[in-house]
Amino acid sequence: MKPRKVKGLDPAAPLGPNAVRIVRTRLDELRTLAPAALEPLASTAQHDMRIAAKRLRYVLEITEPCFGLEAKVAREAAKRLQGVLGDIHDCDVMLPRAWGIESLRALLRTRRELLFRQFSELWRDEVEKETWAALERGLMADGPKTGL
Amino acid sequence: MARALEVPGFDCEEPFARAAAKVVEVRVAEVIEYSAGVLDVADIERLHDMRVATRRLRAALEVFEPCFPRKRHRKALKRVKALADALGERRDRDVAIEFLEGFVGEAPEGDRAAVATLIERLRTEQREANDRLTPYVAPKRLKKLRRRLYKLVKVAGA
Repeated sequence: MKPRKVKGLDPAAPLGPNAVRIVRTRLDELRTLAPAALEPLASTAQHDMRIAAKRLRYVLEITEPCFGLEAKVAREAAKRLQGVLGDIHDCDVMLPRAWGIESLRALLRTRRELLFRQFSELWRDEVEKETWAALERGLMADGPKTGL
Repeated sequence: MARALEVPGFDCEEPFARAAAKVVEVRVAEVIEYSAGVLDVADIERLHDMRVATRRLRAALEVFEPCFPRKRHRKALKRVKALADALGERRDRDVAIEFLEGFVGEAPEGDRAAVATLIERLRTEQREANDRLTPYVAPKRLKKLRRRLYKLVKVAGA
């Protein structure tokens, strides 16, 4: 999945406002992908969401000092999402290779169901805790914090 | 898992391009640092750490893309992606083997031989992935990558 282009970046401008634009785009990407990925067997959408979570995680890792605590909370949540979606992907990759090994196929299917439940609960919890909304408010209201 | 090193002098008020230079310089040093022992399949965490360091470098190159000369950036990113892919191919086998080795003892008697065969097949793929990875992690090649990225960083930081 190609990352969405971030508009208006300026190499000569301070890092802070540029970081706001990038984080906003990556957050929007993640949220847009969520409804499709929350369908239990939507493996492609789940894979795309894993990539989006990874991109948000790493851009926050780089730019976190420019923002408040909400960026750290969002980065940790993105990392958890990336982890559980990665484990789902591992099951999807292994399943066709387990052809003819019924016990392994059954284990992989059960594991996938369990991981999918973890993923949906994790997403619901983060939405309820306003992890993404808080990050968005931080980006919109205060803009980047300066001077570290 | 490898923690990201702090970037000395990182400041949100400095120009985007100067921050780019600082971040990429630290991230490429991390990749080199974690390259030791990655071909050793007895300790799969080493490869995992280098893979994470490479992901961080790739993320920095993508985040700061507008700060670098387009052509040089594209070439550098292509090389980092190729390294990341080679590491990923090995990692996929490491993870699958680890999972199956945990399962084989619990598998019903009738499935154990088939699971063992699958593990053997994955071990062969792991060796092949290691062979393909070997040139990418050769010290000479990594030093070349570092030089390429330092040149890129110099232009951005100027």
